[in-house]
Parts: sequence; structure tokens; C-alpha cells
Amino acid sequence: MPGADKEADLTERIEAFLADLKRGGCGTGPIRGSGETARETTALLRKVTAQARWSSAGDLMEIIRKEGRRMTAAQPSETTVGNMVLRVLKIIREEYARSRGSSEETDQQESLHKLLTSGGLSDENFRQHYVHLKANVIEAINELLTELEGTTDNIAMQALEHIHSNEVIMTVGRSRTVEAFLKDAARKRKFHVIVAECAPFCQGHEMATNLSKASIETTVIADAAIFAVMSRVNKVIIGTQTVLANGGLRAVNGTHTVALAARHHSTPLIVCAPMFKLSPQVVITTVVRNRIILSKVNVHCPVFDYVPPELITLFISNIGGNAPSYIYRLMSELYHPEDHDL
Amino acid sequence: MGLVASRGGKQKKGNVTSEQEEEEQPLQAVLVADSFNRRFFPISKDQPRALLPLGNVAMIDYTLEFLTSTGVQETFVFCCWMSNKIKDHLLKSKWCRPTSPNVVHIITSDLYRSLGDVLRDVDAKNLVRNDFILVYGDVVSNIDVSQALQEHRHRRKVDKNISVMTMVFKESSPGHKSRCEEDDVIVAMDSKSKRVLHYQKTQGLKKLQFPMNIFQHGSDEFEIRHDLLDCHISICSPQVAELFTDNFDYQTRNDFVRGILVNEEILGNQIHLYVTQDGYGARVSNLQMYDSVSSDMVRRWVYPLTPEANFTDQQGQGCTHSRHNVYRGAEVSLGHGSQMEENVLIGRDTSIGANCHISNSVIGNNCTIGDNVVLDRAHMWNNVHISSNVEIHQSVVCDGAVVKEAVRLNKQCVLAYNVVIGPNLSLPEGTVVSMHHPEEEEEDDDDEFLSDDQEVGHSKDKTRQKAFNPAEVGPEGKGYIWKASMNDTEDEELAQCLWGLVLNPDPESDSESEASEESQDRSRSVSPEIDDVNAFQLEVLGTLQRGLEENIVCDNLVLEINSLKYAYNITLKEVMQILTRVVLEYPFQQQGTQLTTLQYTGSLLPLLKTWSPVFKNYIKRAQDHLDCLSAVEELFLEQDTHQTAMVKVLMKMYQLEILEEEAILKWFSTGATNDKSRQLRKNQGLQKFIQWLKEAEDESSEEGE
Repeated sequence: MPGADKEADLTERIEAFLADLKRGGCGTGPIRGSGETARETTALLRKVTAQARWSSAGDLMEIIRKEGRRMTAAQPSETTVGNMVLRVLKIIREEYARSRGSSEETDQQESLHKLLTSGGLSDENFRQHYVHLKANVIEAINELLTELEGTTDNIAMQALEHIHSNEVIMTVGRSRTVEAFLKDAARKRKFHVIVAECAPFCQGHEMATNLSKASIETTVIADAAIFAVMSRVNKVIIGTQTVLANGGLRAVNGTHTVALAARHHSTPLIVCAPMFKLSPQVVITTVVRNRIILSKVNVHCPVFDYVPPELITLFISNIGGNAPSYIYRLMSELYHPEDHDL
Repeated sequence: MGLVASRGGKQKKGNVTSEQEEEEQPLQAVLVADSFNRRFFPISKDQPRALLPLGNVAMIDYTLEFLTSTGVQETFVFCCWMSNKIKDHLLKSKWCRPTSPNVVHIITSDLYRSLGDVLRDVDAKNLVRNDFILVYGDVVSNIDVSQALQEHRHRRKVDKNISVMTMVFKESSPGHKSRCEEDDVIVAMDSKSKRVLHYQKTQGLKKLQFPMNIFQHGSDEFEIRHDLLDCHISICSPQVAELFTDNFDYQTRNDFVRGILVNEEILGNQIHLYVTQDGYGARVSNLQMYDSVSSDMVRRWVYPLTPEANFTDQQGQGCTHSRHNVYRGAEVSLGHGSQMEENVLIGRDTSIGANCHISNSVIGNNCTIGDNVVLDRAHMWNNVHISSNVEIHQSVVCDGAVVKEAVRLNKQCVLAYNVVIGPNLSLPEGTVVSMHHPEEEEEDDDDEFLSDDQEVGHSKDKTRQKAFNPAEVGPEGKGYIWKASMNDTEDEELAQCLWGLVLNPDPESDSESEASEESQDRSRSVSPEIDDVNAFQLEVLGTLQRGLEENIVCDNLVLEINSLKYAYNITLKEVMQILTRVVLEYPFQQQGTQLTTLQYTGSLLPLLKTWSPVFKNYIKRAQDHLDCLSAVEELFLEQDTHQTAMVKVLMKMYQLEILEEEAILKWFSTGATNDKSRQLRKNQGLQKFIQWLKEAEDESSEEGE
């Protein structure tokens, strides 16, 4: 039976992806960037949409929610997976609404008055069957994939507006987005980059090598020297792991130090974050990994910092620059409020 | 020519595809889910060691996760003791789902008594086709062995199957708690090739001895390391299984390693090692190790194998991780005023009363804990009931055990399955309580002494009659005390100690061993003297003579020479040089030194033909070829009147396939070290011979295209 075959194939793919996620980001598994994870998640969700059995949008959303819960549970520190699930859910809602014929405007953010008068959205049950729904949803997911493909380039394109000649720029650890951003600017301008090494994993070293290969003047400093060096810096440009709903960051350890030092010296702090890193989460969980073996000594090695939104000057995403206070608005455009917890 | 060429092309293609197949063959692993000892007795009477929970997950799951994450695609699980339980567990687990990337085959037999038996069975059933990973079912690790695997494969490609095993070690300084004292090893290795030269368990000795001959091998850099932790992960080539079959006295990996190192020169096999700096790997070989591996796991040293990762993918196993490494499963209830200080893991549906104080502990699923309980370094498995006012320090409490009011368990106590203790009792340090009577085990001990497996059930009725001693286990207690020193012989006592042996170097025995070492030192450290070499040469000559007279088969000659080699402590290289020399001088020995060159070659060439199997046995590696050639050269330099015979000898040896043309060419181009040997190479006959070889090579390579 081809249908059963397809489903077996689908579950196999999902299992493999889950296993990858569980091992992801550590020494034993393939290390991937969050962009890649986002693309893979979306591609997998497209496969689910295409191959799973469903007759109405409600069924499909239920299936996606179920798989999404498993995927997010597999690697709670990787928020991109959850974000992509939310994006796909939002897509399904929109396509359903379009098929039903209601205009997109009415489905946009409800006004306060409407929220009070109507009984909420829950009376909409997504049970009606539409022939073209599947094709439309897949089409929309494809669009999302194209958007994901181009995020880094889109961010890098804005580099020349922010980086000027002979500036001193500080960054911390390694971020693919920031790397592309700086390299793009280096095509036209000459500037100096200072990289904080981010011990004990020292991703900063890799960043510095890559930048110097692109013939950018690069200096590596120890994390302890961040404050001392900050007075020379014109701009801080960092990447992040997640952008939280309040405009704060969950970023690699040491970012908070950099942000506080930048505030002290009134240095602007720019965060390069593609839209798929926006997460409706507010809670912070610390992830601790340990590497060095010592006896009789407890070693704590937190991986992420929380950076409060007050310390951030500007977000640069693939759709342009935004202030931290505007993040909530972007969030409501990207995700449907009913989906926030899977 | 065209036809030949096309055939050659085809053959080449065939070779390429077979190589590719080799590359693409799935990586296999042999997992031995039996310890073949009784270290975990009496706990392992009810549950095989591989299924004991560590951080609320069966140990075998860690091993399988480790194998899967390193890319193993096919695993053979060998079980013996309580194989049904292991089988059930595996069939229910995610490893046996059709989507699992790692196909698990379960092989059970009651006949396995040791690792040796398992590997002999692997060989008999022809299970492995390529290099495989050998682990025990109680190894916890996150080491990425792909690097080691690559090195191993590379070595095997370069030196045709000489390296049979690569052992994985982790760097960790002596005294580290995850170092198991019984497994404390000292390793001498060649720094460049990472070859193991000497491998010895220290066993608490202060002085160790190394045979001198290990330092006389080719390399000039050695390391003697004591900062290595044996992860009990080894990458083996298929020959390992064959070697176990050939040597039926090998029981453990230790036997194997020792055997290979001792017989290295006869069999030509080598063992290498891979040292990793990061990553975690340890074998839970006793409760001490259980304690430290468990605490390392909770402290996240084995990331990504952390408790909250729920890598076994079981429903409801997930837990949350919060500060100070506190993990909580689903539906955990915590009473008022209870503190979970740090490094605490609590399984689902467990309820904890008020004012408890818990630190560095693992608590299983479905446990109930009363008020005012103090737990420190306690390992509690599932369905345990602890009443109020109990204090537990560094102890293991197995499934279903009940601890009544006001009981105190001091360090290193073990409450086995379903034991009841108390109330109002303090168990002294190191007490082991089990529902099985210790004697019941001794009764059927005699015939099955090495493995865990024995039927317990039939003697149950008898033991039921024996009453529990209320003074030992409390007025409401159920269980029998197991004494630590229960066994008759000292050896077994060592092997039995549940928490691992505490090595207190006792001065008397130390000095004794020192003395014996010194005496051995004296006899061994002296390198083979010249007298030995001469005597050996004479003996070899005698052997060959006898061989010729009595028409002895060459295999037997080899055996005899090997035994002589041991008797005189001669290295393999020397054996070859002496052998070459003896054979080449043989005509002079027999017919006097006044032979003409013609007579000499006339009598030598048939001899070479007769003894070619002997040569072939000793000349295998490229280095051997060069050594043999240099011996030939040396001899003809001495007998300079017969230099013209040299070409004929070389020609014959080439024709008999004793020497390879590559080796001869290499020797010719590089071997000249002084004027005399340069002179020798100017010999016309030799030049012609080399010329001929080169042409032959060109031709053959042309044909190949």
C-alpha cells in the first residue's frame, strides 16, 4: 500500500530529525546553524502537510501541533524549531480563512473592542473541507522556505548603512549572520573588528580566523578585557540565539557583559537577528554543558545569557531595522496569539 | 594487447567497487550485556547489571545511545544472565522500533562464560564483516569515536592488517573519582605510532617493571602514561574474533591484550590506542563507579546524555532542569520546607514529605518519602518507601525496598530488591541486605563460578524457613545480611566486594613484590647478549641441517625456530637476519670455504627453494624485506670473492616470491651507506638485474592500463 509506505517514510524522517536535534549542538552530532535547523524544520513540516492524512485544516493543525510538541521537546534550547511550527500554523489559519472567503483584514489583529464583543476566535472550528487548501498551504510554506533561504543575505545587504569607514566594531563569539554582515561591509569599507573569544568554547577564535581570511583587520581579546576595550569601540554588533517576546535576547554567554559595558560607554548595540529567531517565549532556561573533568570541584558552565531589552539599541532583521520596543508588534504579525503555547 | 588492456581495466573497476563496498558497509558493534562476574551481587540476582537504572535509565540504553550517536548501524547484543529480561527491555525500547537507525540483534545463550566465549561465537556465526566496536552493556560515554575509527582504518590500510585493535582511553589524572581503582592501568606506548608496547594493571603497586625489549624497537619516542582511564571501548578488526577462536584460553580483553603483546613478534599483530581529552567514558564496574558515574551524569559531564534529554524517548520520562542541577519529573510533589540542595534527580510520581533535606541524590519513579528525611548521595530506584526521620548516606536502595521510621543507613549500604528495614535501627557502614539468603547462593556455587547465571528459584522454599534476624534488620525487617568477607579464598573476596576494593597498600606485601621485581629486573633488563645471538645462530644452523637430513616440513622448522627465539630472547629482526645469514653460509659450512662461485650458487639455489616457506613466514612487512636484503648485502660484503653470486641469489629469491621487486628497488636506491656497499651496487650483474626489474615493472604497469 503506497499510503502506508509514505507514512512509514514520514515517521522515519521525523524520528531521524528528532534524534539529530537531541544530539545537535554537541560534539557527537552534526553541528548546524539555526538557519539550517529552521529550513529543515520547515521542509519537514511541508512533507507532513503533503503526506499525512487529513481532511480539514483542523486535522492538519492538530497533526502539526503534535509533531511540533515532540520536536520542541527534543531540544528545548533550540527555539527556532518551535518558531517554525508556529509560522506554519499561522499559514494554515490564513489559508483557511482565505478559502472561506473572509478578507485578510478581518483576520488581522483584533481591536480591543472586537475582542470584548466577539466570543473570541475559538468558535471557528476549521472543520470545513476545501479542495485547494492543501496546494495553497504547501505553496505558502514554499514561500516561507524561500524567505528563509535569503535571510542572511538580506541582513548582510544592510551592512553598509550601519558600518562606516575606520570604525572599531566589537562582536562576541561566533555568529554566521554577523560574519556575513561584516564581510559584506568589508567589500566597500575599511574597519577594525574586535572579537571577544567566549571561553571556554572559544567560538570567537573561529570567527576571528574567518574574518581575517576576508582581509578584515581583526583582534581577539579575552572575555575579561571586554570592559577595558569598550572605550575604543564605536559600535557593538552581535548575533543572538533567540529574540524573546519582550525584545530581550537569549544569546551566548558573555553577551550580557558586553551589553552592560556598551551601555556604560554609551556605545550603540546592534543585534543581527533574522525573523525566524523571534520567539513568543519569555521564560529563560539556562543550559549547562560541562567539558573539563576535574574531581572534587564543581564546574558550572552556563551557555546562554539573558540580555534585557533596555540594553539594546537596534535589531537588524531580514525585513529591516527595528527598535526593541517594536518586537511585540512583529511577533503578533508572525504568529497567531492562540498558538503561543503549542 | 587491446584485449589484455580491457581485461585489466575491468579488474581495476572490480577492485574499486569492492573498495567502495567496504567503505559503505554499515558500522557494526558487539555489545556484551553481561559482566561475567558477580560484582553487583546480590543486586544482580534479580536484575541483570545492564538493566540497573543509572539516573533512572537502564545502563544498556546509555551504551546503545552512545553507539547510535557514533553512527553504528548494526548492533549485536549478547546476553546470558537473565537474557529474557534484557530481551524484553530491548524489544520495548526505541532501539527495536522499525525507524531506529541502529538495527539491534539480540543473541542469547546460557553457555557464555566470558567475553572470550562471546567473541568465539561471533567468529563461529560469522557476524562481523568489517571493523567493529566492542563495548560492555554498562559503558556510559559521549566520546566521538569516529576519529579513532578513522585512525584505525588508516593504520589497517597502510600496514596490511597488522593492527588488530584500537583501545579508547580518556585522559584523567590519577585520583580522579571516575577512575576505577581496579582498572587502574599503566601503558607504555610509542608516541608516534600510538602503538601499545606494554599494558599493565597497577593494582596498587608502588613499583612497576617494564620489560626492556619494548624500548629497543624502532621508534625513539616513548610515553609511559598513568593518566589514562580505560573507557572499555575498543575498535576491533574481524581478526579479533578469529584470534579468540585460535586461542581458546583467552577469557577477557585483558588476556587478549596481554597475549597479543607477548606474541607480537610471532603473530605480527599490534594494538594501538586512542586518547581523547574531551568527552566522557567510563564503565560501571562496581558500586563505587556507579556512584561516581551517576553523579557525573547529574552534573552534566555526559552532555548530551543528560536526564532531561529523555533520549530513550519513553513516555512520561521527561523532566525539567533547574538551577543547581535539580531535575524534577512529572507529578513530583514536594512537602513544605523540604530542600533540594543540588545535583538532585527525582523521577515521576514521587512524593516527598515536609522538612526533608536532599542533596546529590537520585530518586526513582513512584517513590514515597516521609518527613524530616535526610538523603545525601543516596541512589534510590523505583517504588521505594521511606518513612519519616530516616537518614541515608551514600547508599543504594533498590526497587521495592521499604525503610521504616528512624532508620539510619551509614555509608556504602545496599538494600537489595524488596528488603524491609527497621524501625529504629542504624545499619553499620558497608551493610548489604538482600532477600536471598547468602548460603543459598553458595550451595550451587561450585559448578557455575564465573557467570552471574544460576537458577535461584528452586532453593527458595528452603530459605523461607530460615527466619530473619530482628537484631540485624529491625523488628519488622525482612532480609538477610550479606557479609563482605563471605568467600573462602582471598581472590574471590576481592572480586566480590560490591563497592570496589579499597586498596590499602600493606607494607609487607609491597616490599615482597619489590624484591621479586628486582630479581626479575636483573634477569630481564639485560638485553640479549652477543653470546645469545651466536648460540642462536648455531642452533638455527643445526635445526636447518636436521631439517634437510630428516626431511622435516617447513612449518615444523618455523615452530622450532620460534621456540629458539624465545629461549635466547632474540627479536624478530635479528631472527630474520640470522636466518638469512645461516642459509647463505650453508654451502660454505658444508663444503668448506674454497668453493668457486659456480659451485656455491649451484648448491645454494635448491636450498633456497626448499626453505622458501620458512623465509616467507618471517618476511612480511616492507621493513622485513629491507632487513633481509641488508643481511644479504652484509654477507656478500664479507665474502667479496663471491659477489657475482649475489645477483643469482636475489633473482632466485625474487622468483620464489620471498622478496618483492619494490623492496629490492628501494633497497638498491637507498640502502647504500658506505663506500663498500656503493661499490657493491656498481656490480654489473646487479645493475642488469635492477634494470630488468624496472622494465618488468613498467611493462606490467602498462599492461594494467
